[in-house]
Formats: sequence, structure tokens, C-alpha cells
Amino acid sequence: MARTFTVGAGLTVLFAFTQSNHTWETYRIKLPYKKAGLTERQAAAHLLSRFSFGAKPGEVDEVMQIGLENWLENQLKANLPDSEVDRRLQGMNALQLSNETIANTYLTPAQVVRIAIKNKLIQKDSVFSADKKEYRDQLKMLMEKQGLKPFIELQTQLINQKIIRGAYSNNQLQEVMTDFWFNHFNVSLTKPQCQQFILTYERDAIRPNVFGDFKTILVATAKHPAMLEYLDNSSSVSMNNELAKRPARIQAQKRLEQTINATMADTNNAAAKGFVQQALNAKKVQGLNENYAREVMELHTLGVDGGYTQKDVTEVARVLTGWSVTPLYQDGAAKKIMDKIGAERMAKNGFITEGDFFYRADKHDDSSKTILGKYFAPKGGYDEGMRVFDMLSSLPNTAKFVCKKIAVRFVSDQPSEELLKKMSDTYLKHHGNIKEVLLTMVSSVEFWKEDALREKIKSPFELAISSIRATNADVKMPMQIFNWCSRMGQRFYFYQAPTGFPDRGGYWINTGSLLNRMNFGLAFATGKIPGVSLDLLALNQHHEPESVEAALKIYSQILLPERNQEANIKRLTALINDNKVGDKIVAAANKTQPALQETETDMMGQRAEAKQEKAMLSKKNRPINTPTLAGNNTTVANVTGVIIGSPEFQRK
Amino acid sequence: MVNRRAFMKSGALALFATGIAGGLPSFIAQAADSRKLWTPYKKNKTMVCIFQRGAMDGLMAVSPYADANLKTLRPGLFMSPSEKEGSLFDLDGKFGLHPSLAAFQPFYKENRMAIVHGVGSPNNTRSHFDAQDYMEAGTPFNKGTSSGWLNRVAGLMGHDATPFRSVSLTNALPRSMYGDNESLAISNLQDFAIQMRNTPGINNLTAKSFEELYDQTSSSLLNKTGKESFDAMKMLNVNNIKNYQPAKDVVYPTSALGNSLKQIAILIKMEVGLEIAFAESGGWDTHVNQGTTNGALARNLKDFSDSIAAFWKDLASYQDDVTLMTMTEFGRTAHQNGTGGTDHGRASCLFVLGNDVKGGAVYQNIKSLAKEDLEDGRDLPVTTDFRSVFSGVANNHLKINENKILFPEWNGTALNLMRS
Repeated sequence: MARTFTVGAGLTVLFAFTQSNHTWETYRIKLPYKKAGLTERQAAAHLLSRFSFGAKPGEVDEVMQIGLENWLENQLKANLPDSEVDRRLQGMNALQLSNETIANTYLTPAQVVRIAIKNKLIQKDSVFSADKKEYRDQLKMLMEKQGLKPFIELQTQLINQKIIRGAYSNNQLQEVMTDFWFNHFNVSLTKPQCQQFILTYERDAIRPNVFGDFKTILVATAKHPAMLEYLDNSSSVSMNNELAKRPARIQAQKRLEQTINATMADTNNAAAKGFVQQALNAKKVQGLNENYAREVMELHTLGVDGGYTQKDVTEVARVLTGWSVTPLYQDGAAKKIMDKIGAERMAKNGFITEGDFFYRADKHDDSSKTILGKYFAPKGGYDEGMRVFDMLSSLPNTAKFVCKKIAVRFVSDQPSEELLKKMSDTYLKHHGNIKEVLLTMVSSVEFWKEDALREKIKSPFELAISSIRATNADVKMPMQIFNWCSRMGQRFYFYQAPTGFPDRGGYWINTGSLLNRMNFGLAFATGKIPGVSLDLLALNQHHEPESVEAALKIYSQILLPERNQEANIKRLTALINDNKVGDKIVAAANKTQPALQETETDMMGQRAEAKQEKAMLSKKNRPINTPTLAGNNTTVANVTGVIIGSPEFQRK
Repeated sequence: MVNRRAFMKSGALALFATGIAGGLPSFIAQAADSRKLWTPYKKNKTMVCIFQRGAMDGLMAVSPYADANLKTLRPGLFMSPSEKEGSLFDLDGKFGLHPSLAAFQPFYKENRMAIVHGVGSPNNTRSHFDAQDYMEAGTPFNKGTSSGWLNRVAGLMGHDATPFRSVSLTNALPRSMYGDNESLAISNLQDFAIQMRNTPGINNLTAKSFEELYDQTSSSLLNKTGKESFDAMKMLNVNNIKNYQPAKDVVYPTSALGNSLKQIAILIKMEVGLEIAFAESGGWDTHVNQGTTNGALARNLKDFSDSIAAFWKDLASYQDDVTLMTMTEFGRTAHQNGTGGTDHGRASCLFVLGNDVKGGAVYQNIKSLAKEDLEDGRDLPVTTDFRSVFSGVANNHLKINENKILFPEWNGTALNLMRS
């Protein structure tokens, strides 16, 4: 590793990144925070708030010690050891599985029932009593016998790993970018056809490609079963090719139809009829499906005003006909047919099997296409699709659209045109290299300017994870954190539309979600979220703050490094003293509820309000009499809860 | 519960404000500032939508029993009207209401309930996910539509809103409500408070602390929303919800739908500005043994109609302000399958309930169930576009009429089944 510090300015650093194949590239980075009026400490705090899921206690100092530029370099390399994550992920056996194993192990309830019927373990007629214990036991036995597992276990591991990586990974930027790109190329657990593949989608298509060339991640998502199913490209087919027009093929199709018709006409064979009917129902609608082609331009590359027409959408859809998923399910008819034909014969006919991606030459539209004015000659095959992705990822409108999305995520909801221009220029110059775009962004003074600081609102996931990090919390039941994220408005992995969650404060913050954020802070800090434990006193070297005011000061500094909280602390202290909070907390902890009823509200909330106001008036000029906190951890917890629920902690 | 309508109507805004919040709720203040009429308290109209997820068998809920093909297509699922208990209720000589929907009979007889049959989407997908997605987005051929149709309804209301204008009684925001206009997803109204479990004594103080902090934050978004949150919280004092007593003799089913509708009734009666409400009901995907008078479908239909009937009765004097509409992503095959159920089909039926509804009729353009009249020879074809029904109700009940915005890509005409 060659690294040269340009002494003098103290801002310029020459980096050398190890790239694959032993090529070396040198980057010159300037982090112009001083120009924006920030101290190094403030800059470190800002960097952590945007390029990680939140600073851990003492992390601002660590980053300064390592050097901001070095920290960034490490994050971009994303190869720091992660023993903490490894330890916490132990036992989550699904995380390393292939799509094929998953498809044959983690079955949806409907698949399980089908197997049970097929094995004559249950009668068709008893399916209805699915909620009976006897039936459930039979199914459980069958699944254990065959090594099958319910899909919900896979889903749980997917959700858990995201929370664990976010909270405990040392390669924070990689996780932040994984979150970003997943949302950009959104797929959803709400769609049954793609839900089994989402774990590998994030693992194989997204995470390894977050800093690479845009085209790489675009193609990786395009060819992954999750996306192929989510936006229906796997069922987008054409018969406009030589294979489909072969006489033998047409005859085979005719024979199949005859069999179907004969079965349906046979009044005596109800069971066979039912089976054929179900097969027909399951059969996907045949024909061109434009969903993916439209969204790849509107949402993934060019943007809605990116200069394409409906005609272009149709043409791209035709290019991608036959882009499909390798049949993975062992018991499925497609898999059996493929095994019968054999790989060699299929390859000879132009079929391509690349892991789970399957190019079906017999479903591809072989005629010519014209996209955005560019002509694609007939019989372009699979390669034609790759050329379209090449074209889409190198267009200036794509550069603009993708860079804006990155800037909105990392800088502000309304990034300046100058910044966007710089980033797009870099994108075009470096063939869509994301690392270069990120470096241009942090090398721009706009990233560090006053109007960008604390300007972004944390998503619910970011709020939850930053709370865990800021308090060194130990999360044993990540699902509980997921449930809170849902309540706060981010049921991640479940966003139904291909747009992904909107990335702007106005989307996350509304009356209901805001109250839930405050309640999250309180529940989290006071230990009321099951499976989440924290040692708040340990954050203060096991010293008990001497007063509520002191607790506010100390924990504000720990949770909100480099933010001026004096005014807040003053106002809260006055409020707390007026209400003798320490006494009340002790009373609440020790006594039964009735003793406290005087503070509860009546039906309209009037009495207590009036009382409180009266109390505040009479005590207005009372000298501050802070309660001592010896032996009372509840206060620290409540103070921490208020800080986490406070407006300042919602900002990053 | 204190009825706020009396003094709101008399214009005693200040009385309300000081009484409840110790200050003018900020959204009221804003409305006053902008010199607009404070419409949310002008006795709102509310549209309630219920999504039946899983695809309800419209041919069994409202059965075209007079069509001789039906008995041939589904011999094990056929029902007809008769004097006997547990048979269809004859609606118009052609269609019969399932006995488990008995709670709808009075509404139909009183001409408050209309039934639309043969409803569905022009997109012939038979995937639950896709069909729900298209129906809720309101764009049957475009998945990328970022907003849902109910969110666009909210945007067209054209006046200031309270935080409770658009509420979904679900854990997560439904696709119908995705979009720029504020919508609230809440499965339990009691969550709308600052909660300190086990330490109720300091609830007030904690709430007060938060209020102070949000009051002085430099982020205008957090500041404004914070104010509104606390105002809304006080407005919706959870004690009112905890102690809520439905109207006399009203018993809501203890089901998810019953619970959701009860909470919608609370919001309507509290006059907190509710205009668009959403609830859902599951379990309609009856592939196996769906049964006739008894069974999975019958049970679900009973819960569905009993919940709606309880809601309607509970509304009492508020009924004039409310129209309720049901919807489902598609219907089921005309014939029964090999396991005593029905598979994914095309058109289904829906119910519209309200005092302004031109009810007591089955609106439909269905030809017959003869094979040549079925789609793909197997399904009840879509003869009424769902958008014509949805827009018709929104146009007439909520007085919004920009159907180009409500349903872009659609040029059809709204079905007029309401007195306007």
C-alpha cells in the first residue's frame, strides 16, 4: 500500500487502492471541510453521520486518530475484519445457501400443501382443516422427514442479518450503500414469486457491487431471479424465433393441447381434470411483458424524464424476451424437461445457463429493434441485451439521475446543481464508477457546507440502528427492532412498489410516525424492547450523573457528538425541575399506580394540563433543586429515551 | 365521549382550542392564517374503503342463480333462493345474496346499498400481488406509479387537512395510500400517544419534554410536524378511545375487520377531519372446500357483513356523511375446481353503502355464464372497469372530479350510482 500525505495543506492525500489483477490506481482526495468552516472534529462527526449508520461512543475520536481520509479509504475498500458480525450471524444457516437449495428447502405454505397431497399424507379434502393441530403435526413431520423448512425462517434470517450488519459491521459504508442500492433496485417480500430469492439478491447482486461500475450492479440485478420475477421479465416471451417455429415444436404443442382437451372432456376423471386445470391456472400469461423494461429506464437508469418513449419501452422489452430464471425447483416440470433435454443440446440451440440466470432462445424475439435511435440487427440473441445495458448505463441522463439519487441520500434532499454537475461529470469520465462518484461528492465543499449539516432526516431503520450504535446496545432479538421500524413507517424488504422508499424527510416524518419515534426512544432506552439490552452507565465509565441536568449533559454529548445542545438542556432542565421528575420516577418505580393518579389526564386532558400549568406558575421562581440520582438508573434511561426521541437525534 | 360538533358548529373555535390543548392547534392556526375556511370541521364527508385481499368469489357472494349454466359449472357450490333458512336472498330475480350476508339485506331493501357485479381490471393478470398492486395504484398497466389512488384522492380534496384526513387501519401503509399527501397507518388508535409502560406517572412530563424540544428545533419539518403531532395527540386523547362505547345494541365482531371499522367509527364521531379511511379483510383465496351455507367462505362473508353492519349502525347520525365501498383484486373461476373450491378468475362484485347511494339494485352488464360469454372460456369477464366505480363514488361523495388525476391512462366514464 503506497500512501503519500501531502503535508502543508494537511488536506490533500494521495491514496492507492489495490484493485483486482494487481493494477494500481491512485486517487487524489481533498476533504474540503475547513473551507466550509468545519473543525476536524465536526467533520469527523459529519462523515460518520452520513457514511455510517451512526457514530458509536468515542468513534469520532477514533476517526480523527486514524485520519478522516484513511477512515474513508478503509470504508471504500470494505475489507475490515468483522468478527462481531460473524459471531452474531452464527447459526443463521440460510445466509450462505444458493437459490437452488433455498428453492428446494424453504417452501411457501402452498408448496408444502402440494407436497403433502402428493405424498398422500393428507387428503385433499382435509386441506381445509389446515388450522387443526393434527394436520399441522402431519405437515411438520413430513417437512422434517424431507429436510424442508418454512419460508418464514428464511425471511427472519434475511431481516435479522440486515439489522446485525447495520449495527455491528465495521464496514459501515458498504452496509449504507447496500441499503441505498437495494432501495434503488427495489424488490419486495410482498410478491410471492420473488420472495425466496431476495436474500441472495442482496447478498450476490447488491452487496459485492456497491462501489463498482454502475453497469455491473445494473446487470447483476437484471439477471437475478428476484428482479426477473418481481418485475415479471421471466414471463415476458415471444414466439418470434426459429426454434419456436420448428414443425416438431408446433406438433408437440398441438399434442399437448389435445391431451388437455381430452382430459377436460373426460367426465369420469375428475381428479385428472382438476390437476390439468390447476396446471393451466398456474401457467403464466404468455406474451410480451413491459414491466421491467419500463422500470429499468424510469427508475433504474434514465429517470422518468430521461428522454425515452413508450416505443423504446416496448423495444427494450422485446430485447429482454427470454431473460428468465433457471428452473430450480426439483419437483417442477420445467426442471424435469431441462434435465431430459440435457445441457449440451440446449447450449447448441443458443440457450444460456449462467447460474440461476437462464436465457431461453426459444422465447426470444429475434427480429430487429431500435432503441433511443440506435438500431439493433436481427438475431442479436442474449448479447443484444448486454449491449442495451451498456448503452443505458453510459447515457448522460443516467449519470444525472443516478448521481442525483446518491447526492440526495448523502448530502441533502435538494442537492445543488453544481454538485450534481461535478458528480455526473465524474460518472461519465469513469464509466459510471460509483467509488469515483462518491469521492467527487466528498471532495466537494457542498458536502460539508452548513446547509448540508444535519439536514437529512434519518429513516426509521437509520434511527433504530443509530440508537443501537450510540448506546453499544446488545441486540439478541433483531426482529423486535424490525417491528419498531414497521411501526415508524419503514417495513423494509416489504415496500411494494418498484420505486423503493422515497428518500426525503417529508416522507418519513408525519404525525403518527413522529410519535412512534419518540415512543421508540423511550422503549429502547428504558429496556422495554425484548431482546435488546443496554448498559447506559457503562457509557459514562459507570459513574452515576449527579443530577438530571448532569445526565442530560453527559448523555447528549455521548449520543449527539459535536452538536450544541446547551439550549435544549437548559429548557429541559427547567421543565424537569419544575416537575420534580426524579421524585416521580422513584415513586413510579417503587409504588403502585394509584399513587400517581394526580398526574393522569381526564377525558379531555383538561384537569392535568391546568394543574400542571398552575404548578409551573407557582414554582416559576423557585431555586433549582436537583434531585440526586444515587442508585437510580431509571433517570438515565428516561433521559436517554428523551434524547433518542428528540428532534436532534432524528437528523443526521 | 364529548361531542365536539355542537360548539364547533357555533364557531367557538377558541373554546375548543383552549379546552383541549391549552393553545390553538397549529393546523387550525395555519388554516386561520391562510384565511381559508376551516373546512375539516365543516362536517366532513368520509369515504371508507375495504379491501378484501385474496379475491372474493363474487359468483357466490352475489350469485347469478337464474343463469342455468351456473349449476352446471359448479354443481357442488350452487345455491338458490327459497323459503328455507340458509338459502339465497333474492335480489332481483337474477341475483341472490349469500345467506351469510344477511346483515346486508336491510340495507339493500332500504335502497342504501348498491351491488356492482362483473367488476375488475382490464389487466388480466391472475396474480394476487400484481392485481392488488394495479388496483391500488389505480394504473392497471403501470407498476411504477409512485402514488396510490387514495393518496391522489387526498390531494384533490383541495383544502387544508388534519393529520387524520387519510387513515389506514393497518400496520403498514397500503399501496393505495402511497404518495406525497400525508397518510397515517395505525392499527391501534391507542398507540397515538406518548407511551411509558410501567411508569405512567411521568407520561405527561415526557410528552412535555418532547413538546419543548420539538418546539425549538431548527428543522422546520420536525418543528411543524412535532406541533401537529402533539395537537393531534391531545385531540385524539387515548382515554376517549379506551373508554369508547358504541351506539346502543351495536356489537362489533371481534375480528380484525370489526376492530378496524370500530376505530374508523371513533375517528368519524370525534370529528377529527377523517375523509379517507382504509381497512382490509383477508382469507378470500378459497381454492379448497369453500363450502356453501357453511365453510370458509360463509364464515368470512358473515364476518364481513356483520362488521360493516355494526359500523353502519354505530355511525347513527353520522351516516349521511359516510359512503363505504368494498373492493377485491379479481374474482374466481366460474367452475369449481377439483378440490371443492375455485381458482383465480377475472371479475368479482363489490358493495357500496351510503344514504346517498341509489341502492336496492345490482348494477351489471353481465351477458351469461355460457362458455362463449366467458373470458378464456372459464372466467366471468370484466364488464365494469373498477375505475368507473371508484371514480363514481369519489366524484359524488367527496365532490372531486379530476378523474384524469385519479386514474391517469383511463378515458372511461364514471359509474353514477349515487344521488349527488
